[in-house]
Amino acid sequence: MGFWSFLIIFCFISFYVYWYSSTKALKFNANIKNGSKLPSLPSYYGTYSFFWLILPIFLILVTWFFFKPFFLDILLIKKIPSDFLTTFEGNPDMLVDTIKATNPEKFFPGTNPVIIESAKYFQNLKIISDSYVYIGTLLLGLIFSTFSLRKISVAFRARQAVEKTNVNLLILCSTIAIITTIGIIFSLIFEALRFFEKVPIFDFLLGITWSPQTAIREDQVASEGLFGAIPIFTGTLLITLIAMAVAIPIGLLSAIYLSEYAKPKIRATIKPILEILAGVPTVVYGFFAAITVGPFLKEIALFFGFSIASESALAAGGVMGIMIIPFISSLSDDVMSAVPQSMRDGSYAVGATKSETIKQVVLPAALPGVVAAILLAVSRAIGETMIVVMAAGISANLTMNPFESVTTVTVQIVTLLVGDQEFDSAKTLAAFALGITLFFLTLFLNLIALKIVRKYREKYE
Amino acid sequence: MEKTKIESKKISVFYGDKKALSGISLDIPEKRVTSLIGPSGCGKSTFLRCLNRMNDTIDICRIEGKILVDGEDIYDRKLDPVLLRARIGMVFQKPNPFPKSIFDNVAYGPKIHGLTNSKDELSELVESSLKKAGLFNEVKDRLNEPGTSLSGGQQQRLCIARAIAVSPEVILMDEPCSALDPIATAVIEELIDEISKNFTIVIVTHSMQQAARVSNQTAFFHMGNLIEVGKTDEVFSMPKEKKTQDYITGKIG
Repeated sequence: MGFWSFLIIFCFISFYVYWYSSTKALKFNANIKNGSKLPSLPSYYGTYSFFWLILPIFLILVTWFFFKPFFLDILLIKKIPSDFLTTFEGNPDMLVDTIKATNPEKFFPGTNPVIIESAKYFQNLKIISDSYVYIGTLLLGLIFSTFSLRKISVAFRARQAVEKTNVNLLILCSTIAIITTIGIIFSLIFEALRFFEKVPIFDFLLGITWSPQTAIREDQVASEGLFGAIPIFTGTLLITLIAMAVAIPIGLLSAIYLSEYAKPKIRATIKPILEILAGVPTVVYGFFAAITVGPFLKEIALFFGFSIASESALAAGGVMGIMIIPFISSLSDDVMSAVPQSMRDGSYAVGATKSETIKQVVLPAALPGVVAAILLAVSRAIGETMIVVMAAGISANLTMNPFESVTTVTVQIVTLLVGDQEFDSAKTLAAFALGITLFFLTLFLNLIALKIVRKYREKYE
Repeated sequence: MEKTKIESKKISVFYGDKKALSGISLDIPEKRVTSLIGPSGCGKSTFLRCLNRMNDTIDICRIEGKILVDGEDIYDRKLDPVLLRARIGMVFQKPNPFPKSIFDNVAYGPKIHGLTNSKDELSELVESSLKKAGLFNEVKDRLNEPGTSLSGGQQQRLCIARAIAVSPEVILMDEPCSALDPIATAVIEELIDEISKNFTIVIVTHSMQQAARVSNQTAFFHMGNLIEVGKTDEVFSMPKEKKTQDYITGKIG
């Protein structure tokens, strides 16, 4: 039985189980002449039986797909004649991989017939084991749901049981998100630790030269790589600062205009147009920065009699700022519109002007939301790669001069990981070290911002 | 003879095409309490909001007629509504303290208008305003706590203190007790009686008992019209109009 036929049968069975269980509950109620009826609606008994069908099936299937590879490997090794296993050159793992990679229909001439036989067996095993599991789970689910039918009685409150299961399902879903995050952090940490075995951690954190070129082969003549991360973190900082200097004032002021001054019609027109900015692919911003803004800045500089590189932090940061305007303007507009009109009325009633009201009542009340919007924009700016690659270059200069070419952490991670690399070279592993440092940096920023918001939060209720 | 503080002459208000008030002419005496009563939607709140031009903040609202405060037309083009509102304060139906500390709530108006020259003067003004609103003893130890942490009745008195702090000439109250329990209402009513020595008060209320208790003059509104106005005890004991009689005896409304 393949996956699709399993799915179709499963759907039919689910409908049947639900229908059967709720009908049984209905009949139960109908048969009662005097005395109490079932404490919950028939549909809850149906849902309850359905849960007993789907949850065992789901759990078994998830477990199966996790353990399937190991299980099949064990069966496969048992099948291979032991004398062949011992005579095969190389370790048993390689033999298993070879067999898995062999197509029993199309193989290289001269392939060992034992391998072909085993490959046939393996392909067969994959299909058959799946069918067994599908049939088995369906049967098991049916058994469980049949048992659940016996619970249809006055003493059993199905509504509460369904409610409880719902809560548990919700908890399960939120746990998955958390577990994934933890998994990402751990994978970063382990790779980063391998990097710090090769390069001391303080050389990485405090070094001021970044030139990750190392020898690809043992005999190659190449410079010993230098992994001082300060230039790329200052580069990230510089570009983020420039982007924020563009995005915060423009975004916030347009949010104020939209929520406080614009007539509903104008707001309904302008807001979507602003939001289009967020929908433009970053590559497009990248070449806009590289081809239009960069040279334009260069022209202006030439006019004033000094020369700047056509790849500059200013061009990249400025265009990035434009890109993140909608994040700030749209979210801030939403939170400011949510400030109740009665707050504004209270302010007008003591003789405040509109701008005084906005400055002293609306903005403070909306502050947590505005800070959240800015934070989101900052993390967008820190994580942005494409614009920087195209408009600010990849050379790691330690500078705070916005007219020079700089690079950022994400750009370096990309350049370290593309191309032919040994996976355990310091150069490749440096990407993970950069990643984990960036992660802690943004975490730190978020914590500070959270503190600020807590301190200055003004609740209106 | 009582001096007239506010004189409205044939005020009509339109929301879009809908006429909310038609030709209201009403004189409001100085340092007295005038209550506006009438069934929901009769226009009494709309009239109140005309008196300090709060209706300006509603786009579709249009006003005809004249309102004179101390003989000066407040709908004159040269007059700045912001300055007018500093002279005519307002307290709203639902307590709406700012999401700031108790102190900052009261200090808000004086700070904006630059009424005080030093920090000491400001805290004196805040203290005296809170005292006038009968709230100071309850909050003197926690002036830095948020105004929203107070109970509903306390919040409403805080809003009254906020209005008093800019020393207005008139205080408009839009059903100030409708969100409060009877005890908090009694406190506010006493307070209204107390501050009416210094301020002209116009109060919109749903409760006829409240109007009878606190006000000197009562105006009865119905369907956007001013039906009857007179001394409170006269309006309640021997109304001239049939509609007023019906309303105060509970036949309409």
